[in-house]
Amino acid sequence: MSTSAGSIEADRYGYYGRSPVKPPDWSDKIPTYIFTGGFAGASSLLAFPARLRGNDALARPLLYGAAAGAMVSTYCLIMDLGRPERFMNMLRVFKPTSPMNMGVYIFSVYSSAAMLAAAADATGVARPVGRACEGVAALVGPAMATYTGVLIADTAVPTWNEGRVTIPSLFAATSAAAAGAWGMLFAPPQRADAARRFAVFGAVGALIASKRLHAEVGPILKESFKAKEAVKLGRSATVLAFSGTACALLAKKSRFFGVVAGALLFTGALAEKFSVYRAGYISAKDPKYAVTLQRQRIDARGGEPTRLREPSHDGRPAGSVSA
Amino acid sequence: MSTFIDLTGAAAQSATYGADEQQRMGFFTDTTLCIGCKACEVACKEWNELPEDGYEFTGWSYDNTRELNGNTWRHVTFVEQFSGRSAGTGRWLMESDVCKHCTHAGCLDVCPTGAIMRSEFGTVVIQQDVCNGCGYCIVGCPFGVIGLKEAEGTTGKCTLCYDRLKAGEEPACAKACPTDSIQFGAVDELRERAEKRLEAVQGRFDGAQLYGTDTGDGVGGTGSMFLLLDKPEVYGLPPDPIVPTKDLPQMWRAAGVGAALLVAACVAAAVRA
Ligand code: SF4
Ligand code: SF4
Repeated sequence: MSTSAGSIEADRYGYYGRSPVKPPDWSDKIPTYIFTGGFAGASSLLAFPARLRGNDALARPLLYGAAAGAMVSTYCLIMDLGRPERFMNMLRVFKPTSPMNMGVYIFSVYSSAAMLAAAADATGVARPVGRACEGVAALVGPAMATYTGVLIADTAVPTWNEGRVTIPSLFAATSAAAAGAWGMLFAPPQRADAARRFAVFGAVGALIASKRLHAEVGPILKESFKAKEAVKLGRSATVLAFSGTACALLAKKSRFFGVVAGALLFTGALAEKFSVYRAGYISAKDPKYAVTLQRQRIDARGGEPTRLREPSHDGRPAGSVSA
Repeated sequence: MSTFIDLTGAAAQSATYGADEQQRMGFFTDTTLCIGCKACEVACKEWNELPEDGYEFTGWSYDNTRELNGNTWRHVTFVEQFSGRSAGTGRWLMESDVCKHCTHAGCLDVCPTGAIMRSEFGTVVIQQDVCNGCGYCIVGCPFGVIGLKEAEGTTGKCTLCYDRLKAGEEPACAKACPTDSIQFGAVDELRERAEKRLEAVQGRFDGAQLYGTDTGDGVGGTGSMFLLLDKPEVYGLPPDPIVPTKDLPQMWRAAGVGAALLVAACVAAAVRA
């Protein structure tokens, strides 16, 4: 063994296997937040037309699901801070360059509305205010389901940053799947038509979006989805989405299939979001990804670095599946 | 696109400080002069009252520090490039790494509390009394510089010795460096000095190259510049860093598309077949 520890040979991808970028220092509360917040947002959205049609059997479980999601989100968001008592510091500035700052405004408006709406419905107090809150929650819901995609994309984490065009849509789709699944779990089948369709649209949309994401990030970063910590989640998500969709198609009259489909699709949406989270973590932790990506970028430009003012790629990778 | 970047970038500096604005200050770290003594690491820890990061042996040459993080704001890297055991067959690379004090700083852009600010010296500083430890800056930095300060629950990185600068002193690391490998000064001046130094050493050192001096790169150039003797990645530096907010408008548009698809799916689902 003539090669010493520090030689370039031993460190093909940089410095002793250490990556030039840092992975997030977040606990699983953050991907949990991304899931529960998206689920809640899409639930509020779906509850709105149900309410308009007087389908309370569907609207009410969705309202309560949304409030529960908002509560879990609030807990995760605040408790994952290094200084939870300084949560409010995020509301001392209005900062468009920070998706987390923008997100806290979206989140604050949304979760107050969603919790008030559920409280008003449960207690029967201040009904008109409750209905107004349902409207606000439905309006802000789609932002809740998608802004977290911007939040993770606006980082130096290679797989998230390169997947920036598709990740928000993938998050929207998994949110729809989870919200629809919730409706199937808690509403009787004859009142859950809209939930069933929403869940299927979401599950199929997530399958398409995840395929598109793998194409968008390119062949090197695609490997981050296949790494040990992510691959099982990704595969489970696919299997759950397919089987859940199949059960949903049988659930028109059957409560049993409705509950099974709901459980499968809800879990599938959760697995899909965690797989994106894990893949990103791996892409930042293993130097192979950042170094190879950036080195190829420079080499393709004849040694020139990426310029700040030049337009970015339009997010349509060669040979990608169309969404 | 540029509006997003300029909101908190260096361009905002004069607007904020007016008459109090100072010359932009930074570092030029000339690795051809580095002897790997780690005086900078120690001086930094001492002056900034930073705790140790554990007494462990890494086996990474003489580097037991590993990385820049919340409590390590200077980090000397060691690379042994030898093909055999006999003398004269290779070389040592040493480099004292530090926060780059980017012209367009990812950490500053994404910080949701405004804890990270651009000082009157054009440097990037985390205000410890504002930071809530959300950890967003850790992933917002394209150079992997920032880390959590476990004891405080906040994040930390080099402040270019903001307190010393205000008192007219140079940063502790530059003061302690016995070979002047770490040079402190006005960024424009240091950039010129770096270019002259590169000319002078070209031919004497294989692979000599500047890092951070190109003001047109993905972060608009850096306040901490380096003369390296190999590719940046050999030292654990990113070869083509980009401030993530570069593509932020595109990301929000993508979120808009996602939200529209979600609403469309909801309408389609709610319409009675
Ligand atoms: S190197 Fe990282 S921590 Fe330092 S200013 Fe640039 S983005 Fe911020
Ligand atoms: S950890 Fe502190 S400095 Fe870093 S982004 Fe969050 S609030 Fe800002």
